[in-house]
Amino acid sequence: MTIASPLSIHNVSKAFAGKVAVEDVSFTVQPGEIIGFLGPNGAGKTTTLRMALGLIKPDSGEIKLFGGAPGAESSFGRIGFLPEERGLYKKQTARESIAHMARLNGMKGKEAFKIADEMLDKYGLSEAKRKKNKDMSKGMAQKVQLLAAIAHDPEFYILDEPFSGLDPVNQQVLEAMVREIAERGRTIIFSTHVMEHAERLCDRIILMAGGRKVFDGSTDDALSKAPRRMVIGSDDDRLTELMSPFATSIIPREDGALNLILKDKANSQEVLERCVFEKINLTRFEPKPPTLHEAFVAMVGEDMRAEMEIANMEVRA
Amino acid sequence: MRLPAINMRRTYLIARRDYLGYVKTWGFWLSFFMPFIFGILGFFASSWDFKVSPTRYETVLDETGLHKAAIIQLDADNKREIAEEVMSTLGKTLLPETQAKEFEMLVAEKGAQAGQDYLEAKIPGAGERLKIPDSNMIFIEPPSNDLDELKAYMREDKMATYQGEEVKLNGVIHIYEDEGIKADYWSPNFNNPEAERLAKGYFRSLAMDGYLAGGNLSREGLDAARKGAVTINTFDPTKTNVKEGGSQKVTMTDRVPFIAAAILSGMLWLTVFSGAYMLLTSMLEEKMNKLLEMMLASTRFTEIIFGKLLGVAALTITAMLPYIIIGIGAVIGFILFGDPEIAEGLKNTFTLKMIVFFIIFLILGYIFYGAFFIALGSVAESMQDAQTLTTPIMLVLTACIMVVPLGMNSPDSPILTFASWFPLSAPFAAIVRLPSDPPLWELCLSALFLGILSIGVIILAERIFRFGVLSGAGVKGVTDWFKRKILRRKTN
Repeated sequence: MTIASPLSIHNVSKAFAGKVAVEDVSFTVQPGEIIGFLGPNGAGKTTTLRMALGLIKPDSGEIKLFGGAPGAESSFGRIGFLPEERGLYKKQTARESIAHMARLNGMKGKEAFKIADEMLDKYGLSEAKRKKNKDMSKGMAQKVQLLAAIAHDPEFYILDEPFSGLDPVNQQVLEAMVREIAERGRTIIFSTHVMEHAERLCDRIILMAGGRKVFDGSTDDALSKAPRRMVIGSDDDRLTELMSPFATSIIPREDGALNLILKDKANSQEVLERCVFEKINLTRFEPKPPTLHEAFVAMVGEDMRAEMEIANMEVRA
Repeated sequence: MRLPAINMRRTYLIARRDYLGYVKTWGFWLSFFMPFIFGILGFFASSWDFKVSPTRYETVLDETGLHKAAIIQLDADNKREIAEEVMSTLGKTLLPETQAKEFEMLVAEKGAQAGQDYLEAKIPGAGERLKIPDSNMIFIEPPSNDLDELKAYMREDKMATYQGEEVKLNGVIHIYEDEGIKADYWSPNFNNPEAERLAKGYFRSLAMDGYLAGGNLSREGLDAARKGAVTINTFDPTKTNVKEGGSQKVTMTDRVPFIAAAILSGMLWLTVFSGAYMLLTSMLEEKMNKLLEMMLASTRFTEIIFGKLLGVAALTITAMLPYIIIGIGAVIGFILFGDPEIAEGLKNTFTLKMIVFFIIFLILGYIFYGAFFIALGSVAESMQDAQTLTTPIMLVLTACIMVVPLGMNSPDSPILTFASWFPLSAPFAAIVRLPSDPPLWELCLSALFLGILSIGVIILAERIFRFGVLSGAGVKGVTDWFKRKILRRKTN
């Protein structure tokens, strides 16, 4: 028996008031995958995820959630969804909030409260159990929201910008939670515009820009799209001239060294061999590991870069 | 058309949360116990001789010396009549039929105080609890015979005396000669016209006596003639429930069902109004709490709508429970101990047909308006938005209650018939028409029509809900849609 993929999206498009939000997007999520759904604000990530859940109907294309139509009875209770815009009932306590969502997802009353208590203890929120949501700090409330979304231990996690609004300590806690969920063999797709999280957590990346999918592949494949950078330094005046055949860009640094972006066919090993051959005395030789941020900029072009940086600044602020 | 699927467990859980969300607030319980709190306060107020307004001390400055005593006597007569009427009503309400007649004769012969003593003898404690209300207006001797000096008393520059205590003079009826008799009323408390009205009544009566005397006629003769006038009885040719030896004469028994139906219709309106408004605020709260999107991954739109309708319905019933209990208690009390004509009328009111259709229209009216308000709540983004959006519906709801008096005065009015078909007013109009016994098929068809429209409104509400909650659309979204689709204008 073949296991139905949790989500498959085929040629899906959606426009709001004539403005295209998602255009001809296709991808399939396989069981057990951790997918980073990346892109700047307005890339179409949230709209795609909402369509995947059946909250919005696509204008064209087809979506299958657990092999059926989104919003079908068969998918309820199997999904843990954390939306980008989230909140809690102000007058409920933390355990009531978690238990309520768990019960809506099919758990029995006592079991739901038991799991709520266990989760709150596990994630350091024991003292918040009987605290009203309105009296909790923002960080605590965000943790409770996440626990409410996942308390029923679903098969498929859809997390829309789960890291946004969390402080660095809680971002690490959330990363640990995601790893723990993945270890249980669950499927996860999470959207973010902070590439570092995706780099650390995902085995597959889907990049969105301007409503279109611009990349879909392994994290290594995505990183290979990034320009290879390195810093090289020497007292020898010939260094700049010597690097020209290897680099598309050579920018002198304040400390006298050079920032290089290597050509597609060049690699740092060849640069080093050439320097040894020419008897250049190197003071610095630092190949820089590629980042998803650089890969994204390389794939979507410079126009998107500024927007992306603004978005990242917003997240880090 | 495919009807929306619903999972009952999830619907119940949403209803339960909404219900408990309100029931756990202290404001809810304050409202719930309000009738009892007022009852207790009323009980103690009667014991403590609490008065809503202070006693007003009035005086008559009669420069003619002809009218003062008569005005004071008229005031005393009026107070006696009111006291006797109050006592008589109390007797009818509290005493069995045989004792009530005896009581009425006693009050007519010996006055209200005798009635109060009788009540105390028959129902110990009642005489003390239900005593004749003291008058708030007392006439005192003028502290001065000079109007200018009396003005100083009214300004509280000086104090008058009554039974050895200093009191403030509230007003002066000044009667004087100036090419005939003239009378003025002086008072800083000029919005309270009781003394002025008394003086007017006295002089009007005096004028009539003068006129009658001109023709050698007397007031007593006029009163006797009035008593002997032909009385008009009202008969209803369609009346069929005539008792043996009775006639088709219209009695209180025939009028009570119309009054009761009007009250029920008003209650229905109040329930729909308060329930629907609660739904609107509940929806708005959900939107502001930003929880809907997360819930929508676990439930359907329709389950949220029905859950909310169910939760708020249970809440409304709980909130109204004290009034329902008091109402049912009052009806049973009237049937068992009240005036037989009214009791009979009440029995005729609460027929199976009335109860069944009241429940049907209560449910349909609530669903119809409730779904509408949920839809409005989902496009509103703030209380200001909600108020702007609901004002037209509130006006329609208010206009709908206008059919209630029509039901009492003109049950055959074509407006009322139309209103019972028109979905916005159907729940209220159909109830007030019930005592005039409209054909059953009309009621069934009206209910069916409203039921179909209610389903339509739920489907529409679901769409608006989807649009309002998830497309980031608020009031601006609606106006933009209107500009784009209707006015064919470009929007930003």
